[in-house]
Amino acid sequence: MNILVPQNWLKDYVETEAKPAEIANALSLHAFSVEKINETASGESVFEIEITPNRGDALSVLGIAREVAALLPRLGFSAKWQEPKIKTGQEADKFKLDVQIKDKSLVPRFCALVLEDVQIKDSPDFIKQRLEVVGQRPLNNVIDITNYLMFDKGQPMHAFDYDKIKGAKMIVRESKKGEKLITLDGAERELPAGVIVIEDGEGRLIDLCGIMGAKNSEVDENTKRVLLFVQVYDPVRIRKSSMALGHRTEAALRFEKGIDFDGVIPALWEAAEMMKQYANAKEASKLIDILNVEYIPKTVLVDYAKINLVAGVEISKQEVDEILTGLGFVFDGQNVKVPSWRYDDIELPEDLAEEVIRFYGYYKLPNKLLIGDLPKSADQDLFFWEDVAKNFLKHRGFFECYTNSATNKERASEDALCLSNPLTEEFKYLKTSLLPQLLGVVEKNLGYGDKIKVFELANVYLKKDRALPAQPLRLGLAVKGMEYLDFKGEIEALQKEMGIKNRQDFEILEFENSVLAAEINFEDWAGQSQKVKTYLPLCSFNSIKEDLTFVVPDSKITYSDIEKIILAIDERILKLEFKDIYKNFLTLAIEYLDREKQISSAETQEIRKKIFDRLEKELKVKLKL
Amino acid sequence: MDLKELKNLIVEFKDDAKKLSSTADFEELRIKYAGKKGKLAEAFEEFKKLGASEKKEFGQKLNELKREVEEEIAKLQENFLNKKSESPIDTFLKTLPGRQPEAGHLHIITQAIREIVEIFKPLGFVRVRHPEIDWEWFAFEVLNIPATHPARDEWETFFVDAPEDKKYGRLVITPHTSNGQVHEMLKNDLPIRMLGISRCGRRQEDVRHLQTFFQFEGLAVDKGISISHLKGTLDYFAKNFFGPGREIRLRPYVFRFTEPSFEVDINCGLCLGKGCKFCKGGWVELGGAGMVHPNVLKAGGIDPKIYTGFAFGWGVERTYMMKSGTKIDDIRHLFNNDLRFLEQF
Repeated sequence: MNILVPQNWLKDYVETEAKPAEIANALSLHAFSVEKINETASGESVFEIEITPNRGDALSVLGIAREVAALLPRLGFSAKWQEPKIKTGQEADKFKLDVQIKDKSLVPRFCALVLEDVQIKDSPDFIKQRLEVVGQRPLNNVIDITNYLMFDKGQPMHAFDYDKIKGAKMIVRESKKGEKLITLDGAERELPAGVIVIEDGEGRLIDLCGIMGAKNSEVDENTKRVLLFVQVYDPVRIRKSSMALGHRTEAALRFEKGIDFDGVIPALWEAAEMMKQYANAKEASKLIDILNVEYIPKTVLVDYAKINLVAGVEISKQEVDEILTGLGFVFDGQNVKVPSWRYDDIELPEDLAEEVIRFYGYYKLPNKLLIGDLPKSADQDLFFWEDVAKNFLKHRGFFECYTNSATNKERASEDALCLSNPLTEEFKYLKTSLLPQLLGVVEKNLGYGDKIKVFELANVYLKKDRALPAQPLRLGLAVKGMEYLDFKGEIEALQKEMGIKNRQDFEILEFENSVLAAEINFEDWAGQSQKVKTYLPLCSFNSIKEDLTFVVPDSKITYSDIEKIILAIDERILKLEFKDIYKNFLTLAIEYLDREKQISSAETQEIRKKIFDRLEKELKVKLKL
Repeated sequence: MDLKELKNLIVEFKDDAKKLSSTADFEELRIKYAGKKGKLAEAFEEFKKLGASEKKEFGQKLNELKREVEEEIAKLQENFLNKKSESPIDTFLKTLPGRQPEAGHLHIITQAIREIVEIFKPLGFVRVRHPEIDWEWFAFEVLNIPATHPARDEWETFFVDAPEDKKYGRLVITPHTSNGQVHEMLKNDLPIRMLGISRCGRRQEDVRHLQTFFQFEGLAVDKGISISHLKGTLDYFAKNFFGPGREIRLRPYVFRFTEPSFEVDINCGLCLGKGCKFCKGGWVELGGAGMVHPNVLKAGGIDPKIYTGFAFGWGVERTYMMKSGTKIDDIRHLFNNDLRFLEQF
């Protein structure tokens, strides 16, 4: 998510002579992308920064200031850190709050403080101006202070009108499905189950925790007593709830990325201090601080060798230590203690390597190519034949198409896998054949010209019971404006091009508008293909060629019946080719060759006679006289 | 003139005949040898001067020579003069455009994939293919993205309506080629240098996104692999794919399955990094990359204490469109299959 950080606000924490563009560049190369530097009407620079989701700690001016202060001195700029003073107020014991937490995992840390004698009015100008610059509308001093500190420290907080909490009682629990409340923005929201909510002593829901307060307990111009409310919620529940409600507030976006556990109390006292100063408030209760989880500081090993290995250059121990210290890590022998604000993000020695190397500067690392052992090679044949087929088809005038992996109901087969969350009806069923979509392409392009030739080489997805679907590679072809035998010939020629010796059968389908199509199991074909061609010695004897015309009888026979018979008759029949067909007159070209000696016309005559006999006897195919 | 010179004369004639290139050349040749004062006439003059004993043999040879020259000249004349007789329409016909064979076209995605493969091949990257419909497990879990992790939402994943597997979860259209990483590691064949190119799917469609798209995934796992190797490999790719003046830089980013993770920028093709109107800061975002996360190596059965690796996975279409010159303003053209679009590539 993107945040806005005004340069003047940043100065509260870090004094530097670096110009805004220099700060932006340093952040972009070493920490976070500064996407833009906006300028306010008064000429103030405001950084728009993209914060990666692992860095909830940086969703505040303080978080960015920490990075800037650690970074700038390394780049030759001065940076003076202004340590925020930890304030502590005076606890009183006038008002109480009865807190019941149904499930400790809902709220790892629950903190609150009652303030009295509150005067609700406008905030001072600096608060109003700063809030406006970061896009938050100022409302009144109490609410503005809570918002201000969220942007300043990254800790969302809420202010209740204490007198509107019936029975001074809070029950923190998960919502039941269908419960309703009206949030501060005036919207009535019906809740799904599992949203963290607070119920007061009269059973009213008074807070949509971590997302937005409820209207029935809001601070208004008549408020006298305020319950200042600072929490750490379960990030997963906040995220789920806010997504389910479609209500992504600044508070929710911060809670769901994790809150600095040690930052809660200082933030609360800071808020109390500001309310005393700008709203005339006074402490009126003890500090309520309920810890529902045990917070154990985390330590991680500093693996110098690993850091150098990952970087590919040597970074000195001193430099490593400086960088980590600058970022708030505290050394403890071989290990460092992770700062509380990086608790969720730093886990492994590799995480520390990232911290060190990004500060060292990725751009300073050399460019190297891989060396080392030979990588294992995988079989590349299928890729090879894909290229052969694609090139061949392109040169034969085909257009290559890419269609979506899924299609609509009309084009899908009965047993197609269905998506459970399709974006559109057009893209709902996984394709089991390439043809329906290819035919669609032809249909859509009918106006293109008299002849259309398209193909696609892609996987289809075939359902298997309780297993990954089979995903075979298919070749689909569709043409319009071509003779049946011409189309068939293209596919046969492709087999030849692929060096397929045993002719593979395929089916040609006929559709409306004289569209023809075929689909081929490409992996089968590739498996039959011969990359290495074995040469047949050239023969020094001449062959004899002749054309013979037969009469195809009026019975159910196929060309391959004829072909099989002829080729089986004599091994001296070198080639048999289909030459022409006119009505039912079939002309074949036959070539005879004897590899041992020159074949004579007497010998071919003998073979020819056998051909006539066998064809007539077995198929009733006679020579045309 | 003697017999020898007579022989030379025919050799000379033949040589001259070979050099003809125009009618004028031919005319010159004819006059030189067969003209009234040509070499043949000259030889006949010589003949007259000879004594009777020599005349017989010389005369015979001379006549042979004369016949040969005349025949040859007649042939040449035919060749040259026939050209002259071409009619205007015949001449026009030859100016017509030739009949070209019908032209087919490879899709721009195929062309892009081929270019990418050719660049990584010399670096030892081997092309592989992994499932396009895969288990959630390979698309997320083993990539250090557990089911509850918000990072899952970043991939607008399509789920298949099929029974869940106890271990592997639901079936998905893989939203990225990174599902191939652990598949590849589990082959248990180190070192790895793979280039996986496959179809992916995500629930989004606009001028920059398609529900179906291609990614190419590079993965290298070996002893001693560093960020410098990743930088070098990507820089090599950038220079070869986009042009010699181009270079890349890495910026910090976060992905669950790499640590550290980077956003990879390339210097702008127009200003080469100085900053211009088109690119603003001099650099344009290219895609993500990183060092393979130890948890991913572990999921692939590889010991992260011994091995390191890098990975990157970028969109084929998007990377190709960043090449200047294609001017494709809407990525949806790519799967629309309008032949008027396809014929342009």
